[in-house]
Amino acid sequence: MIGEEIYSQKLQCGLPVYLLPKKGYKKKFAVYATKYGSIDSEFIVPGEKEPIKVPEGIAHFLEHKLFEEEFGNIFDKFAELGASANAYTNYTNTAYLFSCTDKFEQNLELLIDFVQRPYFTEENVEKEKGIIQQELRMYRDDPNWMVFLNLLKALYKKHPVRNDIGGTIESIQYIDVDTLYKCYNTFYHPENMVLFAVGDFNPEAIFELIKSNFDKREYKPQGEIKRIYPDEPEEINEDIIVQKLSVSEPLINLGFKDRDIGYQGEKLFKKDIMTRILLDILLGRSSDLYRELYEDGLIDDRFHIDFEGQRDYGFCVLGGPTKDPETLHRKILNGLTKYKDSSLNEETFARIKKKKIGNYVKGFNSPEFIASAFISYYFSDIDIMKYIDVLNRITFEDIKSRFDTLIDPAYHSCSIIYPSS
Amino acid sequence: MERDLVKRQLKNGINVHILPTEKFKTTLIKVFIHQDLGKELVTKTSLVPLVLKRGCSRFPTAQKIRMYFEELYGADFDADVLKKGERHILVFETDLVNEKFIGGKNDILRNGLLALREIMVDPLVENGGFKEEYVVQEKDVLKREILSLFNNKMQYAIERCIQEMCKDEDYSLFRYGRIEDLDSIDKISLYKYYLEMIKTNPIDIYIMGDVDPDRDFPIIEEAFSYDRGQCKVLKQTLVNKEVLKEKTVFEKQNVEQGKLSLGLRTYTTYSDDDYYPLLMANGILGGGPHSKLFQNVREKASLAYYAFSRIEKTKGLMLITSGIEIGNYDRALEIILQQIQDLKNGHITEYEIESTRKMLINSFRETSDNPSATINLYLDGIINNRNETIDDMIKQVKEVDKEEIVEVSQKIKLDTIYFLTNNKD
Repeated sequence: MIGEEIYSQKLQCGLPVYLLPKKGYKKKFAVYATKYGSIDSEFIVPGEKEPIKVPEGIAHFLEHKLFEEEFGNIFDKFAELGASANAYTNYTNTAYLFSCTDKFEQNLELLIDFVQRPYFTEENVEKEKGIIQQELRMYRDDPNWMVFLNLLKALYKKHPVRNDIGGTIESIQYIDVDTLYKCYNTFYHPENMVLFAVGDFNPEAIFELIKSNFDKREYKPQGEIKRIYPDEPEEINEDIIVQKLSVSEPLINLGFKDRDIGYQGEKLFKKDIMTRILLDILLGRSSDLYRELYEDGLIDDRFHIDFEGQRDYGFCVLGGPTKDPETLHRKILNGLTKYKDSSLNEETFARIKKKKIGNYVKGFNSPEFIASAFISYYFSDIDIMKYIDVLNRITFEDIKSRFDTLIDPAYHSCSIIYPSS
Repeated sequence: MERDLVKRQLKNGINVHILPTEKFKTTLIKVFIHQDLGKELVTKTSLVPLVLKRGCSRFPTAQKIRMYFEELYGADFDADVLKKGERHILVFETDLVNEKFIGGKNDILRNGLLALREIMVDPLVENGGFKEEYVVQEKDVLKREILSLFNNKMQYAIERCIQEMCKDEDYSLFRYGRIEDLDSIDKISLYKYYLEMIKTNPIDIYIMGDVDPDRDFPIIEEAFSYDRGQCKVLKQTLVNKEVLKEKTVFEKQNVEQGKLSLGLRTYTTYSDDDYYPLLMANGILGGGPHSKLFQNVREKASLAYYAFSRIEKTKGLMLITSGIEIGNYDRALEIILQQIQDLKNGHITEYEIESTRKMLINSFRETSDNPSATINLYLDGIINNRNETIDDMIKQVKEVDKEEIVEVSQKIKLDTIYFLTNNKD
C-alpha cells in the first residue's frame, strides 16, 4: 500500500545487498555498514581462542581512519565525483555513506573500495588523535549529550552502553595500528556487513555492479564472531547523577531500564513499536500529563521522549530543559501512575496508532531516514517493511502489559545538569 | 513527473505557489507572513506563534490541536519564526500524508488546510485580546528559549559574532527577540499587533505535493479568503555597511573547547549578478571536506574537528567557524586568514573549483527531493526579487569562472573576530 518495494540478494561472499528504487528522486544514496559499534569492546576473533579487550572508542576511531588512503583523504575522491560522503558510529553499528545526483555507479564502487581498503600508519593514527580529541571536547560542551551520557552511566553498572561512543580523551591514547587492524579484520568481513542503496536506478544493473566488485575479492567464509558483553544486573547503577555545566537553566533526563530483553527479530520489533506507542500515550504532546507539566511551566516544546531497544539492553529516555528538575522528576513519576488509568484507553491507543502509521509512511520521503532506520533494524534481524503488519497485531492489552514491565520506579535513574554559575 | 510552479493570487492579495509533484508521500504546506526585522517588533513577532499554538476558537487548547493532527494520521504541524536578512518571517506549516498511501478517503488535505487556517486566522480571543494565561506562560517559554542559545556553544559563538559585527544594524537582533521587551507585551497589544499583521503584511502560501492546481485551488481559496487591507511595503536589508576597523572580541565562559568565529562582509547578495561567483568562493573556502578550511585547519594541522564557512545570502555576510583547543588560537587564526588571502590572490586549484561546482550542483539537485528545502529556496527568491527555478540555479553555477570568483572574493572584508574561550588562565 505504501508503494515501495525493496529488492535483495545475498552475494557469494556473504554480503547481503538491499536496493530501494525511488522513482523521480534526483538523489541517490548508498550506505555500507558493519555490525560493529561502540559496545563491541570485547570479543573473540574467529579462529582464535582468547578474547581480547580493546580501548573505548575504537570503533569510532576506525571509522575516522578508513577515510584515509595512501594518497590522502578519500573525501577528495568523492568531491571530484560530485558526491558528499560521510559516516557515523553508534552503539551497535558503523555506517559509511554518500549521496550524489550523478555518477552513482562510480561513487558506489568508491564506497565499497575504500571501506575494504584500510590504511593505518603510526603517523596518521597519531594525527587523528588530535582531531578526535576536538570532537570529544565539542561533545563535552554539549549539555544535551552530557545529560544523556550521565543517564546511561546511572542506569548501567557494567554494560559498555554506559561509555561514550567516541571513548575518552584518555582511552583514545591507547589506540594503535595493530589494534585497529585487529578490529578491522574481525568486523569488516562482508558476512558481518550490509549494503543498502536507494534512488532512481535499475536494481538489476546495480546488483551486477556490486557483484562484480566483490567477485574480484577473495573472501573466505569467516565464521562467528563471539562478542562478549558483561552480565548486566537488572538493578540500576545509581539513582541520580548530577553535573554542573555552562548552561542557562537545568536539564533533566529520566530513564527506565528495560528488563524485558534478549529478543531479536519480530519480537524485538513488536516490543519497540509497543514501547513507542506507550510512551506517546503517556507523555506525548497530546497526553494529559504533558499538558499538566506544560501548564505548570515545567516543560516546553523541547521536551522529548525516546526508546532504544537492542537485544542485550533497552531503555527509554524522557527529558529536556526545565527550571525545576526536582519537581519535574517527582511529577513525572507520580503522573505516570496517576494518568496510567485515564490515558491508557482504547480511543487514545487507536489515535496514536494512526499517527504511527502516518509517520511511517512519511519516513519514506527521506532516503537518509529510510537508510539509517533500515540499517539499524537490519542488524537486529528486523524487516522494516513489516512495520504496518506488526503494528496492526499490537493490541491494547499489549500496551497495558508493556507499561507494567517498563514503567517501574525501582528501575529508573535520573540525570541532571545544573548551571555552573 | 515534476511540473512547473503554478502561481496564483487570492482576491485578498495572498500569493499562492503550487508545486505539483507525485514524488512524495505527503503534501507540505507552508504559510509565510513577512515582517520587518526591527527592535520594536522582533519580540512580539516571535511570541505570536507560541501563543497561537496554544489554541484557537475551534481547538481551544494545544492538546486539542495535537489530537486533531494525530487523527489526521499524525500530520506534522508547527509555527515558528525565520530571520532572513532584515526580514522576520512567521511560518506556519503542516505536512499531510497523502491518502492514497493509507487507504480510504479521509479528506486529509482539506481538513489539514482548514485546521491550519483556524489556528492562524481565528485565534482564541477573550476580552479583546489573546487568552491571558497563554500569553503569560508563553512569555516565560520565550524567555527561556532566548536564554537557551547559551547552551549551544557552536551556535552561540556564531550569533555573538553577528551581534558584535552588526551592532548598529537590525540584523544583530536575535530571531527570538529580546528579554527586556517581554514585560511591556500584554494580551491586548499582542493580539492587535497580530491582527494587523495578518491583514496588511505580505503573505505567501506554498503547497508542494500531489496536488492539482485546478482541482485543489478552491480548497485553498475556501481556507484563506478572509478580508485583508492594503498590503504593507517592507524595508530593504542594509547591505553596504563599510568596515572602518576590524574588531576582535574575546568572551570567557566555562567551556572545554574554544570556538573561533569570523564575520566577514561580502557586499554581495542573492539579488546581485555576482551571487553565484560568491557561492563558489564560499564553497572553495569552507564549503565541505574538499575546501581550504577543512583541508588546512583539520586535515593538515589537526587543529579542529570542524572548520567551515557559510554565507547569509540576503544580508551578504560570510561566517567562518571552528572549534579548537584554547591554546591554538593564534595558529588557527593565522591558518584561516591565510586561506582567505589565498582565495583573494587567486591561489585556487582547478580541483577546488570543480569540486565546489559539483558540490553545489549536487546540493541544488538534491534540494528538489526535499519539499521543505525546496520551498525555502523559493522563499529566498521572493525576498531577493529573483525568480529562479532550481534548474536556473544549476545553470548559473555551471557558468562561473575563476576570474569571477577572484573578483568577488576581493570585495570580501573581514569585520569581526570572535573567540569564545574559557576562564582558566
